[in-house]
Amino acid sequence: MQSFRLIRPRTAQEAVSAAAQGGAASRFIAGGTTLYDLMKLNIERPGQVIDITGIGELHRIETAGEELRFGALAPMSAVATDAVVSRDHPVLAEALAKAASQQLRNMASVGGNLLQRTRCPYFRNGAGGVYPCNKREPGSGCAAIGGLDRSQAVLGTSEACTAVSPGDWPVALVAVDAGIELLGPNGPRSMPVDALYRLPGETPQHEFTLAPGEMITAITVPRRNAGRLSTYHKIRDRESYAFALASAAVVLELEGDRIAQARVALGGVATRPWRAPAAEQMLAGQRLTPELALAAGHAAFRDARAGHHNAFKLELGARTVADALIIAAERRP
Amino acid sequence: MSRNDDISAKGDPEDRNRASPQGDSTDPLSLNRRATLGIGAAMASSALSVVPLRAQSPQVTALPEGTTAIRTLVNGRPVAVTIDVRTSLLDLLRETLALTGAKKGCDHGQCGACTVHLDGRRVASCLTLAAKADGREVLTIEGLSHGDALHPMQQAFIDHDALQCGYCTPGQIMAAVACVAEGNATSRERIREYMSGSICRCGAYVGIVAAIEDAASRMGRG
Amino acid sequence: MPAPPFADRPRIDALDKVRGAAAYAADMRFPGLLHAMTVPSPVARGRVAALETEAALRIPGVTRILTPADFAPTQRVADLPNSPRPGLVPEIAFRGEPLALIVAETLEAAIEGAEAVRVRIEGAPFSATVDSPGAAREPAPDVSTGDAARALAGASTIVEASYESPTQHHNPIELLSTTAVWADGRLLIHEGSQNAGAIKVAVARTLGIDPAIVDVKSATVGGAFGQKGWVQRQTALVARAAMLTGRPVKLVAPRGQIFHLATFRPLSRHRIRLGADATGRMVGVHYEVDQQNSRSGGFPANQYHDGAMRLYGIADYAGIAANIRTDTQAPGHMRAPYEHPACFAFESAVDELSYRLGRDPVALRMANDTRTDMHTGKPLSSRFLNECLQIGAERFGWSRRNPAPASMAAPDGTQIGWGVACGLYPTLIHPAVATLRIAADGSTRFAVAGHEFGQGIRTALAAVLTRELQIDERRLQILVGDTTAAPQHLTAGSWGSASALPLVVQAVARMRQAVAELLDGRRIAGTLHQQIATVRRPFLEVEVSQVGPGQDSAALQRMRAGGYAVTGPAYPDFTTMSYIAHFVEVRVEPRTRRVRVPRVVSIADCGRVVSPRTAASQVRGGVVWGISHALREATETDPRYGGFLNNDLAEYVVATNADVDEIDVGFVDEPDPLFNSIGLKSLGEVSMVGVSAAVANAVFHATGRRLRKLPIRVDDLL
Repeated sequence: MQSFRLIRPRTAQEAVSAAAQGGAASRFIAGGTTLYDLMKLNIERPGQVIDITGIGELHRIETAGEELRFGALAPMSAVATDAVVSRDHPVLAEALAKAASQQLRNMASVGGNLLQRTRCPYFRNGAGGVYPCNKREPGSGCAAIGGLDRSQAVLGTSEACTAVSPGDWPVALVAVDAGIELLGPNGPRSMPVDALYRLPGETPQHEFTLAPGEMITAITVPRRNAGRLSTYHKIRDRESYAFALASAAVVLELEGDRIAQARVALGGVATRPWRAPAAEQMLAGQRLTPELALAAGHAAFRDARAGHHNAFKLELGARTVADALIIAAERRP
Repeated sequence: MSRNDDISAKGDPEDRNRASPQGDSTDPLSLNRRATLGIGAAMASSALSVVPLRAQSPQVTALPEGTTAIRTLVNGRPVAVTIDVRTSLLDLLRETLALTGAKKGCDHGQCGACTVHLDGRRVASCLTLAAKADGREVLTIEGLSHGDALHPMQQAFIDHDALQCGYCTPGQIMAAVACVAEGNATSRERIREYMSGSICRCGAYVGIVAAIEDAASRMGRG
Repeated sequence: MPAPPFADRPRIDALDKVRGAAAYAADMRFPGLLHAMTVPSPVARGRVAALETEAALRIPGVTRILTPADFAPTQRVADLPNSPRPGLVPEIAFRGEPLALIVAETLEAAIEGAEAVRVRIEGAPFSATVDSPGAAREPAPDVSTGDAARALAGASTIVEASYESPTQHHNPIELLSTTAVWADGRLLIHEGSQNAGAIKVAVARTLGIDPAIVDVKSATVGGAFGQKGWVQRQTALVARAAMLTGRPVKLVAPRGQIFHLATFRPLSRHRIRLGADATGRMVGVHYEVDQQNSRSGGFPANQYHDGAMRLYGIADYAGIAANIRTDTQAPGHMRAPYEHPACFAFESAVDELSYRLGRDPVALRMANDTRTDMHTGKPLSSRFLNECLQIGAERFGWSRRNPAPASMAAPDGTQIGWGVACGLYPTLIHPAVATLRIAADGSTRFAVAGHEFGQGIRTALAAVLTRELQIDERRLQILVGDTTAAPQHLTAGSWGSASALPLVVQAVARMRQAVAELLDGRRIAGTLHQQIATVRRPFLEVEVSQVGPGQDSAALQRMRAGGYAVTGPAYPDFTTMSYIAHFVEVRVEPRTRRVRVPRVVSIADCGRVVSPRTAASQVRGGVVWGISHALREATETDPRYGGFLNNDLAEYVVATNADVDEIDVGFVDEPDPLFNSIGLKSLGEVSMVGVSAAVANAVFHATGRRLRKLPIRVDDLL
């Protein structure tokens, strides 16, 4: 790890100003569970690190209004166990609780977690020149394509990159049409969480749509989009403390015994948090049966493309969606 | 803050890579500049020693490039130290403060052997920049028991043989104490889930779960 | 006369361990300590054309960079546990081979320095996996008995199948850590090791110094599992750095590098033909095994047969084996190195046979019991495998099992399967020397060959000491893993207790005799300590030694010289093995097909149990290893690059707390009448042998799917 300048601003405005001065080599650090990790791997090499955890205004959790509002620096564990979130919004609480470990959830912030970088082993192992990676060294090639691709994405891939977007929380937020508030050199703005993520295309090094020097200050969730008939279902290579092989965030709104609206998003299988409109359309207006749930799951993967070792993710992903739909529906009072 | 035993008593008196306690201060977080700089000078053998910190006037605010000064409470004792900005909290504890209870097992937040409490919450100290401990309280396994009296969790780990090689044990115990305090020790299933961030390669999980159930009842939680 | 049952007692070093006070190698502190970091090779084969170190040397705090020029040329020898390792060399034989060592004032500077070294390499073609072009198949000597071809020709039922056990890495949580101190003409090395005696000799040979000036201490080891039985490459590098700088130097190897530096469990492929007669008697086996090996690896391929051929009374057994030579670091011993993969394969085949015969798998196994080592024709000193099966079946409730595959399910459609499998492991022994010191101040000191890495050897020694002798346990010092206290031998292969514990009995007898001689007929009341105090001696010390059955003083000399001096399990008059039976329940989710293991019952025959509490922990740990190996662990190699891709604890998935549920452990606790004075046999490794087969057999029973390749994952069951 090379040395860096450490700055510890007290306000969001100070942080953004410091970032503007620091230029491209500047990084914000909150929990550090991604950035410091990648610095130790010599993959992130910032010249300036701005520790934003001292900015008190960004820690607040507000759950009283029609919109839930989470300050970007609220720890994942705090939001997961917030009384309102854990009681009324299981898809959010479960996505947080099934991520990483309690140690890491205490460190990681809900804003920083949106910017978690891929766990593709070819990306993480590359420093030192072993494996080419277009994300790490643009233009160097992708070792995962044609390589050991069991964990790689089957949705949203390109000829340049198949790296999975590893998060759980962003998947849940995309499912509930959450938004983010940003502060940058040109002032504040907001946008849907969904708009934060890019597809890899030919430039997999560009993962997010943040402008230079821009920071996430809050996450907003329309309360009615994340109701009690919801779940985040996650299948891993072990029971806990692992990244998803496949996951599904599901929220159901029922009218009588029929689904008025279903919200479905996928994790562990795509290059970005992945909304599944084909599945949602198939479910709308229908009575949920195990057969329909599975059909909706398969619909979610209609456009998927498998590599050598990850074809199982199409079936696993579909069944994960099906189980999530059934779990969510069973939460009917 | 109730105890004022000297942290240096744990280390080798000859060791130059060590911080000193600020025993004369009642509030460690309001240490004056001079005391802080004094600690910087204690790191004489490091690359930082090229700058004669003690000779500088208290008004000089510039620290050597790549360093930062922090003040923190470690196991109730105030510590002020100038560190390399890159240093992890784990390396600060182990290499500078001679608190070697927290262990390095992966250095990437993947095993839990380095678990300590930061402001009362369990964290992976290997993935925590030491600079982030500035103004905060750190509790390590060394600060869990008081003299010969073990914390109920420590005693339960002995009683249930919840360990073998012992290397992950300090991290397991710090995680376990937090698990109970969080209210996550209410069932075996929940304990297993909330203890999964601490890998025990010897496979003492059955004993660990039994120990936490036992200690939770003695701690009046769970 | 074998000992009566031992009482339950706490782990003797648990108090230090729960307080964070137990000192592992990386916890040792020395004034003026320097930190080291290695530069690993990014390629699997080639030659270093140039090492550009200028940029690294400019980094503040970097004090020195060791390169091949700092080492006398050393020849690579066959890789075995005690082999000396080369220093730094320009030829690259595997990915991750250390090319340079950075020494710096701080850890941060050492790491940055290692990253800043630029290496120019002339690459060479390589074969990374057993399926890579250029991987060379090299037959090993057969291990056969009787006439398997004839027996199989006469068999009425034959099962024929192929099984695969993947590459796996030990991953003890303690990283490989070496601290070397060069002072006053002596070299002191602190390292977490199972083999302090070999380090002493091997490092001296690499550095061209006299082993007599090298002291090695490995008092408390943070898990080992065979990884730390081999002399590590880094030890001599760090020692050399300490000698060149005149300051203590510490290296804690990053885990990603350890995947490429330490040994690993090689991939192995097993082809088995197992024949039975009409009565269900297993009559013949033809068993071929291939394993991955390195170009110079000595890890023998044919030892997979040593256990498998002794599991049942099968007179005709053809054991074929081969190494597949590839460009990796040497594979080596990882907990139950041969028996675990072999019993996965063999006990899966026996399960397949039980279905072909329509026999209950427990009854089939019990009907194939033996009292004889079919390989040597000698009697087994003890064998209570059928007792293990019987007790286990009762505790598990085996009689309630519906034998039909896919016949048991929970209301939600979760499939339930019950599987059984057996395991065995040789009981081995090495010569050892021990000293017992009893002091007038009430203290007691016992020093012997052995290493404590969590298996509980200190606790077992204390159990025997406190039974033989009235002592104050708070003033008891047990010295193991310390070449300054007693000659040290590799502690592995579950031979630690058998090699050390009987010496306690012998030493106490010698001590009583010595005290009697000292008292010369006087009668003094009280403990031995009080008697010694009364005659105004500060202490009395006795030394005793032991060799294994059939060994002579030459073996003792080999051990004293830091060599390998193990014998068994076939002794001149008998063969000694330990046994275990595992009963496993699995639950397979109806749709997403996750496999859970809610309960396991394991009953072991390890002879007399000396330390019941740590022994039970050993078995539970072995079961966790078995579950983890059956369902979780595999190291992956991309053949285009070599090395190991998933080289961290996030991607190399080991069992965590949520993966483990009930594990019920029992012991037959019948002392072995022949092997030693206490009646104990081996335990650490047998505890995991057969677990993976029991899991796979249970998955078959739950689903009707016979999975012959580990690990079993959702991919296989969708």
